Amino acid sequence: MNKKNVFKKLIMTLLCCALLAGIGLSATACANKGSSQKNRTKFTIGFDAEFPPYGYDNGSGEYVGFDLDLAAEVAKRNGWELVKQPIEWNSKDLELSTGAIDCIWSGFTINGRQADYTWSKAYVDNSQVVVVKNSSDIKAPEDLVNKIVAVQADSSALSAFTAEDASEENLNLAHSMKELTQVGDYNSAFLNLESGAVDAICMDTGVASYEVKTRAKKGAEYRILEQRISSEQYGIGFKKGNVDLRDAVQKSLDDMLADGTFDQIAKKWSLEESVCLGQLGTDEAYLQDDREDISTGLISRAIDIAGQLLSGMLATIEIFLLTLTFSLPLGFLLMRIRACNITILSLLARIYISIMRGTPLMLQLLVVFFGPYYILGINVSTSFRFYAVIIGFSLNYAAYFAEIFRAGVEGIPQGQTEAAQVLGYSQVQKTWKIIFPQMVKRVLPPVTNEIITLVKDTSLAFALAYTEVFTLAKQVSAADASIFPLFIAGIFYYVFNALVAWGMSKVENALKYYD
Amino acid sequence: MNVLECRGLKKSFGELEVLKDINFEVEKGKVVAILGPSGSGKSTLLRCMTLLETLDDGDMAYSDMTVCQSKDGKASYVSKKDLREVKKKFSLVFQNFNLFPHYSVLKNVVDAPVSVLRRNKKEVTREAEELLAKVGLSEKLDAYPSQLSGGQQQRVAIARALAMKPEIIFFDEPTSALDPEITAGILRLLKELASQKMTMVIVTHEIDFARSVADEVYFMDGGLVIEKGSPEEVIDNPKNDRTRTFLKKLEK
Repeated sequence: MNKKNVFKKLIMTLLCCALLAGIGLSATACANKGSSQKNRTKFTIGFDAEFPPYGYDNGSGEYVGFDLDLAAEVAKRNGWELVKQPIEWNSKDLELSTGAIDCIWSGFTINGRQADYTWSKAYVDNSQVVVVKNSSDIKAPEDLVNKIVAVQADSSALSAFTAEDASEENLNLAHSMKELTQVGDYNSAFLNLESGAVDAICMDTGVASYEVKTRAKKGAEYRILEQRISSEQYGIGFKKGNVDLRDAVQKSLDDMLADGTFDQIAKKWSLEESVCLGQLGTDEAYLQDDREDISTGLISRAIDIAGQLLSGMLATIEIFLLTLTFSLPLGFLLMRIRACNITILSLLARIYISIMRGTPLMLQLLVVFFGPYYILGINVSTSFRFYAVIIGFSLNYAAYFAEIFRAGVEGIPQGQTEAAQVLGYSQVQKTWKIIFPQMVKRVLPPVTNEIITLVKDTSLAFALAYTEVFTLAKQVSAADASIFPLFIAGIFYYVFNALVAWGMSKVENALKYYD
Repeated sequence: MNVLECRGLKKSFGELEVLKDINFEVEKGKVVAILGPSGSGKSTLLRCMTLLETLDDGDMAYSDMTVCQSKDGKASYVSKKDLREVKKKFSLVFQNFNLFPHYSVLKNVVDAPVSVLRRNKKEVTREAEELLAKVGLSEKLDAYPSQLSGGQQQRVAIARALAMKPEIIFFDEPTSALDPEITAGILRLLKELASQKMTMVIVTHEIDFARSVADEVYFMDGGLVIEKGSPEEVIDNPKNDRTRTFLKKLEK
C-alpha cells in the first residue's frame, strides 16, 4: 500500500462524490422541471402587508385583504394550503427567484414590469380616466388646459396629478389647469360636471364606466376620454417561466369569475368598480409567451452577454496567439543560448530565466509597461499598453518554454547527436533535422500544460488595464449586477482550453508514429 | 597504402589518462579488430578517430588528409571546413545503433547522403534500397526503427554507414547490445563486407569472430596497445601476460 494507491483511491472517491452530486443536481432539476401542479400541497404568496385593501394586518395580527381572500379561494379550489408570506418589498424578486414564495400577489402593478414576470390576467384596473359631458369640446387630456377638473380627495386621480411619483406630463397638465378641485364623493363630482361648475372629472376607470353607464340610463350623456391620465393594472406575478402554476391559478380565477365568487369578494372589499378580470380585450402581459421566453430568454441573455464579451474574447485570443508566436521561438533561442559554449551568454540566459520564473508575471507586466517611462524617461502611449502585454507575456513564457525545451533536448539520447555528427550533418542540420523534431515530441505534454496556463494567465492583462475577456466580464458583471457574465467568461476559458487540449492531443497523436 | 594513420595519440579526462601513447594504422581493404578489457581505452580511441572526442596530443591522418598534428605537445586540428571533408572518409556503427527514431528505415539511410553529400535523391534512394536488400530489410523500408528488432536496427545502421560510401567503417562493439542468435547474423554480414574488401575497424569481444575475420588484431589495456599482430600471433599465441589473462577470462 504505497502513497500512489492511497492517492488513487482518494481521487476515485472524489470523482464518485462529484458524480453523485451531479446526478443529484440533475435529478432535482428534472423534478423541478417536471413537477406538475397536482403534486403541490402548499401555495405561498408573497405580499406587502401594508397595502390595504389588498393585503394588510387587521390590527389583531391577522393578514386580511382582497388579494388574500382571492388567494385563499384559489388555494381552496386547488386543494392547496395557503401560506401568506409578508415580504420586504425590495427583496420580492429574490424571494420569488429562490422559490421562497410562489408568486407576488399584492396589488402588484403590471405596467412597466411586463417582461419581468409571468403574469396572470389583470384583475384590477387602477387606470385614471377623464370623464366629460358628451357635448364638451374636450377630446384629449391636453384640452384640459385652463379647465376646472374635479378629483376625489385622497384618490389615485389626485396622486396621478400631484404625487411625487406622478409623471412630468401629468404634473405639467395639472399646472396648466385653471383649477384642480377636490370633491368629497363622485356624486357631487357629477353634479358639478352636470352643472358646468367643473369641466371634467378624473377618476378610476372602473368607477367611471359604472357611473357613465348608470347615468346614461337617466338620460345624462357623458363620455370617457380614450386617452388615460395614467394606466395601471394589477396582476399576480409569477417567476418568469412558471406558466404551469400561473395557468392553474388563472383557471381558478376564471372559474370564480364565472360563478360569481370573484365579484362577491370584490364587493366585500368595495372594489367592484375596479376589478377588471376578463374585461380587458387584450391583456398583453398575460398573453406574452413566457414559456418560449424563458428558454430564449436565458439563451438570448447568454448570447447578449457573450456579445458584450466578444471584444474581450477576441483580445484574449489575440494575446494568446501572439504570445505563443513570440515566446515559443524565443524560448527555443533562449534554450540554445543557455546551452552554448560561451560562458557569459549561457550565464546571462540562466539569470534571465531565473528572474522571469522567480518573479510574478503581473509585476513583470507592470515593469514592461511603466519601465520605459520610469527608467528611460520615455512617455508611453496608450497603444503601448497592448504591446506591453504581448512583450511581457512573451518574455515570461519564453523563460518557461526554454526550460521545458532544455529538458526535452536533454532527454534525447547522446547517441542521436553523435550519429548526426559522425554522418557529417552541419550544426544547423543537426539542430533542425534531428534534435528539434525529437524535442517537439518530448515537450508536447509539458508545453500543453504551459499553454493551458497561458490561456488562463491572459487574464493578468488586467494589471495593465487591457480589456481582455476577464476584465470585461468583471465590468459587465458589475453593470449587470449578476455573476452571469463571469460564468460566461468561465465557459469561454473552459471551451478555449478544451479546444487547446484537443488540438494538442491531435498533434501528439500525429507524432505517435514513432517511439 | 594506409587509410588511417595515427601516431602518439593522447587523451585524458581530467586526471585520468585514457590514451597514453597510441600508434594505430589501417591498411586499405584490411579488417582491424581491437580487443581489450573494459576501461582499456578502446572506445575512447574509436571516438577520437571518429572525431567525437578531441585528442590532447598526436598526429592523425585519413589517406592524404591530415586531421591533426602534434605541435608543442598539443594536437592541432585542421579547420572545421577541412574536418567536414574528413568526416566523409569514415562511418561509424554504434553499439546502440542510434538510428533516427523519427525517420523511416529508408530515410535513415537516404538522408545523410542527400543532405550532407548533396547527392541526387533518386540515385541515393535506389542505392539505399539495394543496400537494405543486401542486409535483408527490403520489406521494412517504410517501417520506423522502434518497430524493428535490435538486429534489424543494427542492419539499418550498417546500411546507413555504407550509404555514405566511406573509405573506412568503424564498428563500436556492434553486437554487444544484441542477443547471441542475432549476433551471428550481424557477424555474417560483417564477414561479407570484409570479403568485399571493405576497410573496417571493429571493437569487439567476439574472439572467434575477430580470429576469423581480422587481418590484424590490437590488444589494448590501460590506455596502451599491449600487443598487435595477426590473429594467430595475438589471439592464439599471446606474448603478453595481460593479453593471456584477458583471453582466458573470455574463454570462461
